[in-house]
Parts: sequence; C-alpha cells; structure tokens
Amino acid sequence: MVPMENYLVLSGIIFSLGVYGVLARRNAVLVLMSVELMLNAVSLNFVAFSAYRIPSSADATGIIFAVFVIAVAAAEVGLALAIVIRLFRNRSTANVDEAATMRW
Amino acid sequence: MTTEVLWWIFAVAIVAVSAGVVFARTVIHSAIFLILSLAGVGAMYLFLTIEFIALVQFLIYGGAVTVLILLALMLTRMGIAGRPEPTTGVQAPFGALVAAGLMATLIGVAVATAWPGNLGDTAVAVSIETIGEELFEDFGAPFMITAALLLVAFIGAIVIARQEDED
Amino acid sequence: MAEHAWILAAVPGIAFIVMAALGRNLPRQGDWLAVLCATSIFGLFFAVLANFLNLGEAAWPVLNSIEWTAIGDFHLRMGIAVDQITIVMLAVITTVALMVNIFSVGYMKGEPRYWWYFAVLQLFVASMLMLVLADNLLLLYVAWELVGLSSFLLIGHYWERRSAVEAAKKAFITTRVGDVGLLIGIILFWEATGTFNILDIIHYVEEGAIGDTRLFVTMMFILLGAMGKSAQLPFHVWLPDAMEGPTPVSALIHAATMVVAGVYLVARMLPVFEAAGALDVVLVIGLLTALFSGVVAFAQTDIKKVLAYSTVSQLGFMFVALGAGYASAGMFHLFTHAFFKALLFLGAGSVIIGTHHHQEMGQLGGLWRKMPITAGTFLIGSLALAGLFPLAGFWSKDEILHAVEGQGTFFFFLISIAAIMTAFYTARLFVRTFLGKPRDEEVASHTRETGPVMTLPLVFLAFMSIVAGFFIFHDFGSAFGFPGGFSEFVFLHYPHAFHVDWGLVGLSTALFVIGTFGGAWFYWNGRLDRSTVMAEWQPKVYEMVQRKFYFDDLYQFLIDRVVLGFSYLVSWFDRFAVNDTGVDGSATMTGYAGFLLKHLQTGRVPNYAMAIAAGVVALTLLSLAVGS
Repeated sequence: MVPMENYLVLSGIIFSLGVYGVLARRNAVLVLMSVELMLNAVSLNFVAFSAYRIPSSADATGIIFAVFVIAVAAAEVGLALAIVIRLFRNRSTANVDEAATMRW
Repeated sequence: MTTEVLWWIFAVAIVAVSAGVVFARTVIHSAIFLILSLAGVGAMYLFLTIEFIALVQFLIYGGAVTVLILLALMLTRMGIAGRPEPTTGVQAPFGALVAAGLMATLIGVAVATAWPGNLGDTAVAVSIETIGEELFEDFGAPFMITAALLLVAFIGAIVIARQEDED
Repeated sequence: MAEHAWILAAVPGIAFIVMAALGRNLPRQGDWLAVLCATSIFGLFFAVLANFLNLGEAAWPVLNSIEWTAIGDFHLRMGIAVDQITIVMLAVITTVALMVNIFSVGYMKGEPRYWWYFAVLQLFVASMLMLVLADNLLLLYVAWELVGLSSFLLIGHYWERRSAVEAAKKAFITTRVGDVGLLIGIILFWEATGTFNILDIIHYVEEGAIGDTRLFVTMMFILLGAMGKSAQLPFHVWLPDAMEGPTPVSALIHAATMVVAGVYLVARMLPVFEAAGALDVVLVIGLLTALFSGVVAFAQTDIKKVLAYSTVSQLGFMFVALGAGYASAGMFHLFTHAFFKALLFLGAGSVIIGTHHHQEMGQLGGLWRKMPITAGTFLIGSLALAGLFPLAGFWSKDEILHAVEGQGTFFFFLISIAAIMTAFYTARLFVRTFLGKPRDEEVASHTRETGPVMTLPLVFLAFMSIVAGFFIFHDFGSAFGFPGGFSEFVFLHYPHAFHVDWGLVGLSTALFVIGTFGGAWFYWNGRLDRSTVMAEWQPKVYEMVQRKFYFDDLYQFLIDRVVLGFSYLVSWFDRFAVNDTGVDGSATMTGYAGFLLKHLQTGRVPNYAMAIAAGVVALTLLSLAVGS
C-alpha cells in the first residue's frame, strides 16, 4: 500500500503550486482558484493523517476538519467572488495589482 | 499492486493539472484544470477509503464552487476581452522562488519526520457512523457556528455584490 | 450596641453620599437632612454609651472586626475598638457636630453651595468618627486623610476668594508633611510587628518586641503626624489661615475635633510613647507651642485669628499634659476645651453674622448692648477658657498644672506663664469686642442679635462649658453611670480619684485673676488702643509678634528659594531630558522612520502576500535550524 508520506508529499506539492499561483497571478479569480488549491492540499493532509492514525480507532477528528475546511472554503469563495465582482464594477478590472489604494 | 500503480497515475495527474491551474494562459483553461484537480483530490480520498469526504468533495467543490467561479468569470468577462492580457504579474519569478523553497521545506519535513503514534502502512477505514457521531456530538458547537458563518457569508455576498442604483 | 458603634460613622457617610448626589435638588437643599443626621448620631451615641457602661470594665475595650483580606499568612483585619478614650471623643464629636449643624443652618443661609457645605460637613463627621473608632492604624490613616480632605474642601468653600484657596492649599500641604511621617511610622510598626492593630502594637511594645532606638525613631514619625494635624510648632502655620473657611467649620474642625486628632493619637499610643522614652519630646513641643501662640495671640486683631492662636496654644497644653504622662489630664482638657472653644467660635460666627461680616476688632466694640445673648454666652466661654472657678476650663487646667507639677519647677513656671497669657488675650478679645463704645458707628448701627437657630446652640454649649468640668468629680461621674470621675474613667496605668488640691486651686485662681484683670485693665478704655501704644513703645517687638515670629516668612522663603529652586531644576530636566529628548524625541524618530519606511508600502496585495509567504518559509527554516 501507499505509505502516508506519499500523501504528505503530494499535498505539499499542491500547496506550493497554490502559493505560487497566489503570488504570481494578476487576475483576482485566478488568485482565488490558487487559494482553493491550497485549501485542498490542507484537507488532503488532514484526511491522510486521520486515515493512517492508530488502527481500529473510532476517532475521526481529521475527517471532521476536512468537512469544516470545505464548508469554510465554500463561504470564502462566495464572499471573495462577490468582492471580485464589486471590484470589477468599480474599477473595470479584476487585476489585483491595479488595486493599489492600501498605502499612504 | 494495482492500487499502487493507479495511485501513482492519479498523483502525477493531480500534480499536472494543479500546475495547469497556475500556469495556464487563459482563465477558462485554469478553471477547467481546477475542476480536474479537485476531482483528483476526491479520488485520493477514495484511495484513503473515506468515501464520505470524497462525495462531499465531488459535490461541493467539483459542483458548487467551480460553478460559482465560472459564473464570476462570465460576470467579469475575463478572456472575452479582445486584447490578451498577461495573466502573471511582475513578481512571478520571486513567487516561484518562494514557492519552490516552501515545496522543498514541506517535502523535506514530510519525509524526514518520524511521525508519532502507531502509523501503519495501511489506511484505516472510518465508518460514516463514526463521522456522523463525532460531527454532531463532539463537534456540535463548531458545526452550528459554521452553519451561522455560511449564512452570514451568504448574506454578505449578496450585500456586496448587489447592484446599487446610485453607482 | 457598643460593638456596632461603626453605625455612628456609617450614618453620616450615607448622608454624605445622598446629599452629594441629590443635595441641590432636595427641599431646602437638604440642610434638614444634615441636622437629622447629626441628631440621630447624637442619639445613637447615648445608646452606645449606655451599652458600653452596662458591659462593665471587664469588657473594655469593646472590639469588633472583620477580616478584610488575607495575603498568604498575612491576615488584615479591619474593625472598631471602643474604649474610654473613644467614648470621650465620640461624646465631643457628636455633641459639637450637632450644635454646628444647627448653627450652620442660620450662618450659611443664602451662601453659595449651601448643599455642598452640608454634604462635606457630613463627610467630615463620618471620617472623624471612623478615625476615633478605628482599631488599627491603617484604617486610622485612611480616616486621617479623609478628615484632611474634608477640612481642605471646607476651608476652600469660598473658592472664588484667592485667600481661601491659598489657605486650603496651605492647610493641606502642611498637614501632609506630618501625614507622611505618620505613614512612615505606621509602616515601621508593621515591619517590626507584622500588624496594624493598635492594641496588638501596644502589647508587642510592652513586651519589648522593638528595639529602643528603632522604637524612638518610629514614635518620632508618629508624633510628626500628630503635630501636623494638631498644629504644633513648627506645623502651626496652617491653622490660623484655615479661618478662611466658614466659621462653624472653624468651630467643628479647627477647634473641637479634627485638630485634636493628634492629641487623640498621642493619647491612644501613650504607652508606646512612654516605652520609647519620647514623652519629654511631646512635653517640650507642647510647652513651646503653648507659649509661642499665646504670645502671638496678643497681636492679632481678627477675632477668629485670636481664637485660632488660642486653639493652637490650648492644643499645646494638651500635649504638655500627655507629655507629662497624664492621659486623663490631656483628654479632659480636650473634652472641656471642645465645648468652650466651639462656643467661642460659634459666638464669633454670631458676631460676624450680626455685624454683617465684620470680624476685625478695630471695627467692633460695645456689642453687648446689641447682642446680649451672644455676649453672655461668649463671656461664659471666655471665662471658661481663662479658667474661672468653677467653669470647665478651670478644672481641666487644674489637672494639667497638677500633671506638670511632677516635671520640675521650671516647666511648672512656664506653663503658669502660658496660663496667664491665656487669660490675658481672652480678656483682651472680650473687652475689645463686646465692651466699651462702638469704634465704627456704621457697623454698630446695623448690628442686631442673631436668630434662635444660632443662639440656641450657643446657650447649650455655654451650659456645657459650665458643667463639663464637673465630670472630674467622683460623685458627678457616678451619677451618670461612669465608674467615677474623669480620671477614674480615662487613665494610662491606673485610675486615680480627683481630690481638690486647695493650694493649686488658689494658684490657678491667682493666675486667672492676674491674666484677666491685667488684660481687662489694659484694654478697658475703648478709645485708647493700647496695642497701638505697644506698637509705638517697642515697634520691633510688636512687629515681630504680629508677624508671628516670622514663621510664615521663613516658610515662604524656604518655599521660594529651596523648593521652587529645586523644582525649577526638576522642571528643566523634565522639559529637556524627559520631554524634548525622551518623549518628543522618540516620537520624532518614529515619525521620521515612518517617513522613510513608508516607501516599502506599495499598497499592492500580491506584494504583501509575497512577504507573508516568504516570512513563513523563513520562519519554518529557522525553527528547523534551531530545533534540530
């Protein structure tokens, strides 16, 4: 069978790709997609730990975490997209590096 | 043996489509790659024999969230505009550097750490009853708070995205 | 009831809160509430007294305390202790407070902040009662400061007047110097014995728990507090200035109660003073004060100032008695003095109201025709102060003379001089105010007797000034249920019955006659101002006396040169080193750094995200490097 480390490495790769997307992409929707990747990587990590922990245990904490991550991600995506739409309507762009008002 | 081969195929595919999400030239392609990536992670949950989470992943991520993202893409007319814009910013090289450093760190830690506890090579099946009991008993309060959070986010999204007559 | 004597302090305390909150809106601005409160504590005092006497000597002192807080092994208990000294103080405070409250209704009529005056008066009564009931030094100190605060507020009642503000400030600061000494003394006691309880401290000291030198130093600090409050030399300067306050306040606070707090404290701690060998210090300070202020009182022209110096002088007498080791003599003089000095001050207040705010003796004279009741009661008070047989002052002065007899001829001679001076300036005050012909016809034409709300307290206090001295007799005390005369009730080591020493009575009467008739003869003629004669005959001496032996000038000089010079240095340091360099400097540096560093802020979200991610990676690597 596949050892747990494989899942961890896979999750690490997906997470790093997501980080790159957040840092590199200009379009707000693309940034959001990258965030989704990162969240997924984290979920995968939780579930992997949960599945490989002490055998025959009735503990499902890691899985519960994944459930909550998914729920929060849904909320986050809904709000973030609303903000993107608002940004686009006000500035006619969805590029994050053109919204530069957060400074002196 | 078959499972392992299948796992490796899926793993490579997930890495490939995830890279596609962050490297694709057009937004629509990225979105399609995201759907594939999410589905792949769902498949990983199946490998871990936790069907419940896999199902949730397919339904909520693969269904609802991606539909929402596509909708946002349509509303902001991305990729439909005639002039092709560069989709990566000026700090992309630095981002790549940071992400590479992070990846190296994460992989190093995942491999090098001696994980505690009696961790066998085999995934343990967790029954859906256990999940249900935990979710509604031990985690009853966070569950309800999350429900409230979803409601608030829902209302907030409506308020923020609403078309105002004044504008 | 005696163990619940704290109610006495609680009643005026609650009255203060009610009046401070609602006073302005109450009918008649709440003066009825003040009188009601004073009457009820007057009544409650008798309940306490009856219960105290019923319990009998074996049950004294009556104690009642609660645990206030416990820190580790240290248990702080707060409570009350009612013993003979406390009972005497309670009698004085409740009686004079009632009289002053009633008198004030007439005196303060139409004055600004009428309600606030009565509210603070209740605060004062509450804290003064707390002071004498306290069973530990910590509670006593709290009350000690509270009476100081009430005194400050009342002296500065007419704060529109600059002199009143200055006087209030002076009183507060001067007594504060002594209070710091008291606090140091309390801390030293606590360090040595681990307790604040007065009875425990006395017990420890009698067992010899504190070394001689250390005990003496501690008692000097405690004495400093007592001297500040009781206006002993050289802290006496605040009391005459405190006359800026309304006159009933002078009667209550600056004659009968607060200023005797120092006497009370010394009497309460007298066994400790004795053990420390500090009694001689008390004696000398008291004697110097009595003589000094007796002399200064000659040259004062303001009625209230004369009375103020007289008060300082009489407080000196009390210190002398305590210094001689006679708690009963000191407390007895405190007891009688409270009545006749309150009477004299209220009489002065009556004069001030009757003449429409004239209190310079140069403008008065011949008032007895216009104000017979005030003049009559004032005469009784004056004679009691001067020591006419058999008024109250005679018996208490007799006790003091008796006490000093054992201290050697020299002290006895000096205290006799002080007694003559008392009679002399009292005669001068009375003669120049009430007898002779009016010096200012216009003032005289407006003068009329004050109403019953003011004269009734005068009559009552005059009555007390006559009878209070009889408490010294065994039979008189027994008739009221006391174990005997005053000196059999309040004593240091053992009770002693009072026996009339006819030799001493003769001497005392002689002193009275010399002083009074000397003064009366000297000032009888209303037309000729003998103090002017004095001023022409020995102008330098007269000026020195009138300027109070330059004490105020000396203090002013010290404040101007030393204190202000030092504070100028401190303020320079504060302005340049602390403010400009430290506070403003760091602010300017921060601002300048911000000006430079603001360019790091691009306002672009990806940059920030980048910084966060890079930081996370760096921190993870760092923790790995450090952790392994």
